[in-house]
Amino acid sequence: MLILTRKLGESIRIADEIKVTFLEIRGKQVSIGIDAPKHVPIHREEVYQMIQEQNIFAAQYDVLGDKKLSHIWDRLKKEKEKI
Amino acid sequence: MRLSTTRFGDIDIDESRAIMMKAGILGFEHLKRYVLLVQDEEILFWWFQSVDDGSVAFVVINSFVIKPDYKPIIQDNDVELLEIESPEDVILMSIVTIRSDPFRVTANLRAPIVINLKKRLAKQIILDKPDYPIQYSMMDNKLILGEESYKKEEIIASALSI
Repeated sequence: MLILTRKLGESIRIADEIKVTFLEIRGKQVSIGIDAPKHVPIHREEVYQMIQEQNIFAAQYDVLGDKKLSHIWDRLKKEKEKI
Repeated sequence: MRLSTTRFGDIDIDESRAIMMKAGILGFEHLKRYVLLVQDEEILFWWFQSVDDGSVAFVVINSFVIKPDYKPIIQDNDVELLEIESPEDVILMSIVTIRSDPFRVTANLRAPIVINLKKRLAKQIILDKPDYPIQYSMMDNKLILGEESYKKEEIIASALSI
């Protein structure tokens, strides 16, 4: 990993289009500003990871026995009708 | 082509029905082709089966069925990437996490799969809105499931029956 030291207000540039500016430090929190074109998706790492984990977990579902989708659907509907 | 799947055995796949995902699904980036499968026309769960790996399949639901006021913003570059010409061509599918307790069945509203049914291109996008949860409980809204069957006919038309 490339490690750079920057002062507040200073920036780094990634390729031609992305500029990251270090705006503020408060305790253990750092505010950074990112200028990037609209087509560059920017997300917090943990959101990415959570979605990845959720996808992997969801893919483990199988269709054995009474775990058939129609059973699950009927149970959902039944419970909903109670609400 | 014939695809051997873990859940449904061998199925015949009409390759023109395949949906291309250039970026894959997060966690499954190497799998690029999927097909929508209908197991039971009476329900609104569908299968999103990988064509490249017979053991990978997701249960999906049209996001509007569980959240009728769902209004995600699809970025211009994704509109371009998916060659979307009209909103009519698009469906949004949420990946469902099935658990035996109905109260714990969740759908991912934060990262819907945007499918252009016309061009058969899809992408799992990540929305900027934290108020669309990754684990949205299917019991959360007051609507009775199935009361509204958004685009059901279109989905069935572009899916394969198993």
